[in-house]
Order: sequence, then structure tokens, then C-alpha cells
Amino acid sequence: MGSVLAATPPPPTPSPGGGGVLGGTGLLSVPPGFSMPPVSPVPPPTSPGQAAGESASPPSNPGTYEECHRKCKEVFPMQMEGVRLVVNKGLSNHFQVSHTITLSSMADSGYRFGATYVGTQQTGPAESFPVLVGDMDNSGSLNAQVIHQLTRTVRSKIAIQTQHHKFVNWQCDMEYRGGNFTSAVTLGNPDILIGSGIIVAHYLQSISPALALGGELVYHRRPGEEGAVTSLIGRYTGSNYVATLTLGGAGAHASYYHRANDQLQLGVEFEGSTQTRETAVSFGYQLDLAKANLLFKGSVDSNLVMGAVLEKKLQPLPLSLALGAFLNQKKNTFQCGFNVTVG
Amino acid sequence: MGSVLALSGAGRQNWPFSSETPPPQWDTPPAYWDTPPRWERRDGRLPNPGSFHALHRSCKDVFPQQIEGVKMTVNKTLSSFFKASHTLHLSAVSPSQYRFHVEHRHVDSHGKDSDSPVLIGEMDSSGSLNAHSLLHLSERVRAKAVFQTQQAQFVTWQFEAEYRGSDFTAAVTMANPDILRESVILVAHVLQSVCSGLVLGGELVYHRGRHDEGGILTLAGQYTGPNWVATLNAGKGGAHASYYHRANKQIQVGVEFEASTRTQETTASFGYQMELPEANMVFRGMLNSRCIIGGVLEKRLSPLPATLLMGAFVNHRGDKLQVGLGVSVG
Repeated sequence: MGSVLAATPPPPTPSPGGGGVLGGTGLLSVPPGFSMPPVSPVPPPTSPGQAAGESASPPSNPGTYEECHRKCKEVFPMQMEGVRLVVNKGLSNHFQVSHTITLSSMADSGYRFGATYVGTQQTGPAESFPVLVGDMDNSGSLNAQVIHQLTRTVRSKIAIQTQHHKFVNWQCDMEYRGGNFTSAVTLGNPDILIGSGIIVAHYLQSISPALALGGELVYHRRPGEEGAVTSLIGRYTGSNYVATLTLGGAGAHASYYHRANDQLQLGVEFEGSTQTRETAVSFGYQLDLAKANLLFKGSVDSNLVMGAVLEKKLQPLPLSLALGAFLNQKKNTFQCGFNVTVG
Repeated sequence: MGSVLALSGAGRQNWPFSSETPPPQWDTPPAYWDTPPRWERRDGRLPNPGSFHALHRSCKDVFPQQIEGVKMTVNKTLSSFFKASHTLHLSAVSPSQYRFHVEHRHVDSHGKDSDSPVLIGEMDSSGSLNAHSLLHLSERVRAKAVFQTQQAQFVTWQFEAEYRGSDFTAAVTMANPDILRESVILVAHVLQSVCSGLVLGGELVYHRGRHDEGGILTLAGQYTGPNWVATLNAGKGGAHASYYHRANKQIQVGVEFEASTRTQETTASFGYQMELPEANMVFRGMLNSRCIIGGVLEKRLSPLPATLLMGAFVNHRGDKLQVGLGVSVG
């Protein structure tokens, strides 16, 4: 749902959201909304009022548009296939490097090298700017992002993605965080020669400490055609739950996230698309046994897709093992895989 | 296994029998590497060489078993004779299945064969049956019957009689005798302990169909060193050579070479097994001349009576990968 081109390009090495796998060295952190694999995403403590909703004071900054559904999405397990080995190496407080080897029968096997640099301008206890993230495949595909805080309230990002030698994605966005609202403009794949491009504008306003409303406007233009899609979003944050609803020309997306206790989190999601004329309901849960260094995520779908991922940190080694399996009852297919993360 | 199946149409059977071939207790004399080597007996006489099928077993046990998909096994010991196990297998390449396995076998603490018959049966969710029975007719004579069906059709029905002398073994097997089609496969095995450490023997396979008949003779030899075993089978049907070496308490290595005149192919494999009893872990890896690389890790999850199996096999030539996970409870 939402923007045609998400402001966050697909992560180069998809990693389970929520950073459950990564050791979380605490050296580097990237503000959420810019999901990058080698660095554990830490929610910025400097922007309160984001999903916790504890403040009874006047509404504070509601966060970004993309993050409204994120808490629910992070509960769901990620599909794993084949074998993956990830080696993360922190070279200094500012620089981190990762090597990934993937062996897979369905997708391409390969080697990927990623590097992350975090600058010296510190805006908060867990945030530093500028952030440069790069990722290169053994076939030459590149993913690169530069995130920088231009002023106290304006943050900007440039993202580029290539497939072999062709540029697939190039976008630039600017985000302004006011006292109780956030607005962002993204320019995607602008091509002056052909006269095509996509512009996405987001706006999210905190009405009350718990309620945030906003909208999105996507305008795309190609030689010969142009169009626009609008969506409205509403998010209500309770003491231990978050309910979000997005309605627009492209369809509807509703999600509910509930934190039952320290260990159990649930998510329910409903998606309907006007383009494909399909709806899907998913239920997911996450069980976090910190004492056993275990994280278990399970999900059931209305398309009869069941999946589960088990992640375990093998103390005392800096090793993390993830086992996952997905079963599609309707199509009678089955996929399983495991990941090993070192460092 | 023996060449009986290699000649018959079934050939390499499509579905493996649990995860192991018939348990080693049937075929090999207990080989305890920590005590004096098995070829030495107190009275100086030569020991029984075991059965023909078990010649290459010590090398084959080092190699990892191919696992695919997710397998969940629940083993339940009902009494000292009776054991049942349920297996649920979810697989990406073959249809998922449930398998029920039952064993009637008296397991003594010494591991010696007792007089009670051994009956093993396994049934699939698609109706395929696999049944083995082993009877001790007398102290030296054993009879075995094997039945295998693929859903409703009988694929293998095999009867074997084995005589274990003091320093030799002789066995006769009749496989798939079919009176209506006038076809049968007869196999005769002989193994003789020639001197301490050396075992020589042979196998004669005679197959007869309605329109053809033929025989194949294979000679076998095995030499056992203090911590190694070298075996060679050679005949008109091909050659099979294996070398097993126990480097220390933790590492075992096996090298195997197979050549077949029927398929005109040769394969060389190298495998190793690493045991870390302190970590409750066993790792088996293998490397093939067909560019197949595989590894399987088995870990006993200590306070729970459960074992976790993780394995992957990569075929570089065909660019295929198979990943498997297994949990065994009980």
C-alpha cells in the first residue's frame, strides 16, 4: 500500500525486520524508515509519541508515514529459502562491513558485500549523520543510500539501485519534521530526457497524543500518460496496541498490532487492492524468550500460507542461527531455509 | 547394498527406508574400536567375518544422509521389545508424507543377538509398506524375509538364509521369485576369514527371466588394520573400493570409489565425520566427483530428549541446492 515507490527501497540483503538477528553492537544505528541490513535499526528515542503514546502532553511528532504499518509488519516472519551466511564486521565506531553468501535453488546464489558508514554529526543518543550505506552483488548490482540531516528538522535521503549495469531506481527525498506533524516529498526515477517520473508527497499530523491522521499523494507521469493516486491514513495508538488504517484509490490496508506482554506480540493485517481485486488477511505473532535467546515468529494467511521462523543466538559465540519454513497449502509448495549470522 | 537390487528393475529404490538401512546390529559383529580390534580373539581363532552387505558399511556410515525439507520424528519405546516411531515429512520436491515405523526387537545391553525374531515394519501415508523380518533358526542359521510395496504393488520380496560358521559366512538369497513370469534372482555370498585382518569372499548373482538369463561373479576382499579398513569388490558388473580410517576418537574419514560397467560411470567420494561428545554434536561432510558437496549437523539438545538435524546438499554441476531440517524427539 502507500507509495508506488516506497521511500525505502527494497533492502539489499533482506533481513528479518525488528533486528532480532543482529547482535546489536550498539555502535551504529540507523533511524527507522531507512531499513538497512547490516545495522540494527533502533527506534529514535528523540522523537517520542511514536507508537508508545504514553505522553499525556500536547501531541508530539507522529513519526513518518511509512512507519505507521511497520510495527505490525515486523511481527510477521520472513520467507527463507536456501542457505545464507552473513558475516558482519565492525571496523570502527563509524564503519561496518558485511559479507553475505547465499546458496539458493530458487533465487540466484551469490556473494554480496555491504558497507555502512555513519558520520560524526550526532543528533541524538542513538542517531548520527550522515549515513552512507552501500551494497554490491557479485553480478555487479549496486544498492546505495545516503541519508543526511540537513538542519534540525529537515532530513534528506538519496537512494540508487542498479541491476547489473542498468539503473533501476534512483530517488531523492526530503522530510520535514515539525512539532506535531511530518511532511515528506519524494522524487522517484526522474528522467528529464523522456519526461517521466514519480512524485510522492506524505503528510502526517498528530491530532491528539494517540491519534494521527495523514495523507499521501502519488503522481506519476510517463510520456503519453499521467495519473495520481491519493490515500488517507489514520493511526490510533493505545497503551499496548496500535491500529492503523489506510484507505485510498489503490485499495485499503488495515493493521492491528497488540503487545500482550513482554514476550508475546500479535499482529493482524488486512489488505485489499483495487488493481488485482484481491484481499488477504494475515495473522502473525512473535514470541520473544530473551532468557533462552530465542525469537519465534509465526504467521497464518487467508491464502493458506503458514510460515514460521525461529531465531536463536548461540551464546557464547557471536553466532545467530535462524531456521524458517513456509508452507502453501493451496499450491502445495514448501520452502525451508536457514541463515547463520556471525558478528 | 548388494547387487540384488541393482539387477532388478527396482534398482535404486525411490524411497529410503527411514533414514538408515537395516540397523547394523543384524549385519556386523559389534565393532568396538576402543577394545582390541575385532579380528583378534582370545583363543587365537579367526572371527566370523560378518555378512557380505556389511563389508562397506563402516565407510558408508561416515557419509551424511541426504535430507530434504522438514522432518519431525517422534520415537516411542513401548517396552524392551517394542518401539514405534511417527515421522512427518514436509518436502519441497516430493509430496509430503506421514510414516509409521514399528520394531519388535530385543535390545540387550550387550548388543548381542538374542533368540527372539526381529520384525520391522514401516507404512507410509500413501500405503507403501516396507517389512523386514529376521529369524534365528538355530545358533548359526538365520533367515531373513524382506517385502517392499509401492502403494499397492509389490516391488521387492526377498528371502535369505545365512549360515555363520566359526570363521566364514555363507548366504543364499532369492529375490523376486515369480512363478508366473518365470523370473527369479538368486544371489550366493561367501566370506572367509583367511588370516587375522584379511577377509576374502565372493558373490554370485544369477538372474533369470523368460527370455534371458545370466550370472555375474564378484570377488571381495577386506583388510583391517588397527584403525583402518580397506575393502574392494571387483567383478564384471563393476568395482567398488572403500577405505575407512579412524584418525582419533573424534574424526573418522572415508574414501570411496565406485565404477559400474552397466551405467559406464565412475564416482569417487570423500567423507568425514566429526564427533564432539562434549557439545553433543556430530557433523558429517562429504565431497563428490560429481561436484556434490554436502554436510549434515546433528545436535542433541541436551536437557530435552530431542535431536536437531540440519543439512544442505549442493550440486554445483546441476546448480541445485537441497536444504533439510529435522527434529527427532525421544
